[in-house]
Amino acid sequence: MNMMKLSPVDVSAVTRPVAIQCRSVWKFFGNESAAAIEAARKGTHDKDQMLDKFGCVVAVADVSFEVYEGETFCIMGLSGSGKSTLIRHFNRLIEPSVGEVVVQGKDICKLGDVDLRQLRSRHVGMVFQNVALLPFRTVLENVALPLEVQGVSKKQRLETSQAALEKVGLKNWAQRYPSELSGGMQQRVGIARALATDPQILLMDEPFSALDPLIRKQLQIEFKQLSTRLNKTSIFITHDLEEAIRIGDRIAIMKEGRIVQIGTPEEIVLNPADEYVADFVEGISRLHLVKAHSIMSPGADKVPAGAPQASLDSDLQTLIDLTLTQKSEHIAIVEQGQTLGVVTRENLLKAVRGIEVN
Amino acid sequence: MSEFTDAFDLHVNDALMWLNDNANTLFEWVRASLDAAFRALDWLFALPPYWLVIAAVFIAGWFAVGRVFAVGAAFGLWLCQAMGLWSETMSTLTLVLSSTLSALLIAIPAGVFIGLTSGLMKTSDVVLDFIQTMPAYIYLLPGIALLGYGPTTAMWATSLVAIPPAMRLTAHGIKMAPVSLRELGAAVGMTRWQTVYKILVPCAFPSMMAGVNQSLMMAFGMVVIAGIVGSGGLGQSVYDAVRMLQIDQSINAGIAIVVLSIVLDRFSQRLVKFDTEKSHG
Repeated sequence: MNMMKLSPVDVSAVTRPVAIQCRSVWKFFGNESAAAIEAARKGTHDKDQMLDKFGCVVAVADVSFEVYEGETFCIMGLSGSGKSTLIRHFNRLIEPSVGEVVVQGKDICKLGDVDLRQLRSRHVGMVFQNVALLPFRTVLENVALPLEVQGVSKKQRLETSQAALEKVGLKNWAQRYPSELSGGMQQRVGIARALATDPQILLMDEPFSALDPLIRKQLQIEFKQLSTRLNKTSIFITHDLEEAIRIGDRIAIMKEGRIVQIGTPEEIVLNPADEYVADFVEGISRLHLVKAHSIMSPGADKVPAGAPQASLDSDLQTLIDLTLTQKSEHIAIVEQGQTLGVVTRENLLKAVRGIEVN
Repeated sequence: MSEFTDAFDLHVNDALMWLNDNANTLFEWVRASLDAAFRALDWLFALPPYWLVIAAVFIAGWFAVGRVFAVGAAFGLWLCQAMGLWSETMSTLTLVLSSTLSALLIAIPAGVFIGLTSGLMKTSDVVLDFIQTMPAYIYLLPGIALLGYGPTTAMWATSLVAIPPAMRLTAHGIKMAPVSLRELGAAVGMTRWQTVYKILVPCAFPSMMAGVNQSLMMAFGMVVIAGIVGSGGLGQSVYDAVRMLQIDQSINAGIAIVVLSIVLDRFSQRLVKFDTEKSHG
């Protein structure tokens, strides 16, 4: 691998402050005894043996990662992989059996009742898979619920909630009841409710899984724009890799409570850590994921004069269009006036097939 | 075995006697306060002339329930007046409302509490089944022993039988509130108490109102039986008519009871519907 490949991502990551940190977190349901924890740590027993011998289910196993401020961090896994259990650790709806969860610099497992409620009502918003709107309140009153808990005056909280509804495009629905709204609209209300208190962190627990594909895609795009514009740090749970790729700055792939791989969408698609990840990645279109910097042959010397130029961040589709329209075998990769390498048609074909280029 | 049951009966009797001897002040106080509440309400309902009550029921029924009901209810109530049973009808209404109200003061908080705990549901079901299946006459006896003959005993027995449905359905409603909504409460930083009154109780409201309606109907059944202990009102009219074999009188009072119970039933059912309509557009 060449150095250019990872550097743009790494540099920005190192300089960004950490918003959420998870240090070797384990969660056992059932027996949480020291013996069970020890056995799981050593890895001597598999899932069934743990259940047989200790009567416990390991939902989250030795998970560690950091989420940077302003980042959207996707956790992808199939049902039963522990992802919904894991996300509930970040506002302590579930307590870890072992390990530390640090949110905005504080180990939240050590917070007292008052501080914990403060954290939940002001700093961490949550959106649920089944929306969880109160059927006896209007849309506006639902959005105002977290503000009500904070003790904001009625006038103030209704104004703020109205503004939050406008952000998700539902300002004309404020006085309706949730049952009058479609599934997609209800989930927008859920998002508006999470945004109403202007928390720094959003926890999204499979928010779009129950929606039909077109609405889902639309909401994914809107969510991505909104969280970027408002500069929110989000943890986004999904069982759909395409969704993770569309939304996530980085993706963690979970299997049986463990994280098998963490990386940018591009890293995961190009270098799956194991068979399991490779299976997921197989059906994913690479056209928008693979960028010039990971498929070019480095060195300015191989570039013929007059070849069309593209930047390091151009995706596969752009490069293919370029070679087709310009009828050119080579594309020069240029950044800040310097030619860094070349992409040939052979490179492009290999990239589409997922074969290592260099 | 018979020795054992005899001993049991003896102890129950002794306990009642003991209560009568030692807790007399307490029961005297209970009797006095129930009596005062009953008299105040009775006075209040007797205050407006019959046509005003009928007009009020007609108007409220017209808008809240339906036109046919409004006309029928007005006619039925007018019939009560025409049969010369107006004051009895009002005093039965007083008895039913005051008994149900005091039953609800216990049933709803207890129901909420049981709905929140995980283990108590089964125990409370046994107790409530016991109360509901026990022949209702039985409750009159300790009432007479401790509270004396009159409307207070009727109120005590009526309240007791009115407790189970509201309590059960309240607990059920709380239990049935979706897990995701409980989680929501925690996630937005509510205290446990806030989760209960901002989320769980409103969720349980339709079920609670169905319970109130059923409690009201149970109270109606008991109020007639309580005629035996001098409850006054229609129950007593029926009982007196039966004792003296006055068929016409007993039928008149019976009709008045039917009219009153249908009117109360429809109004209280309306409470359930009101809430469901709100949440389903």
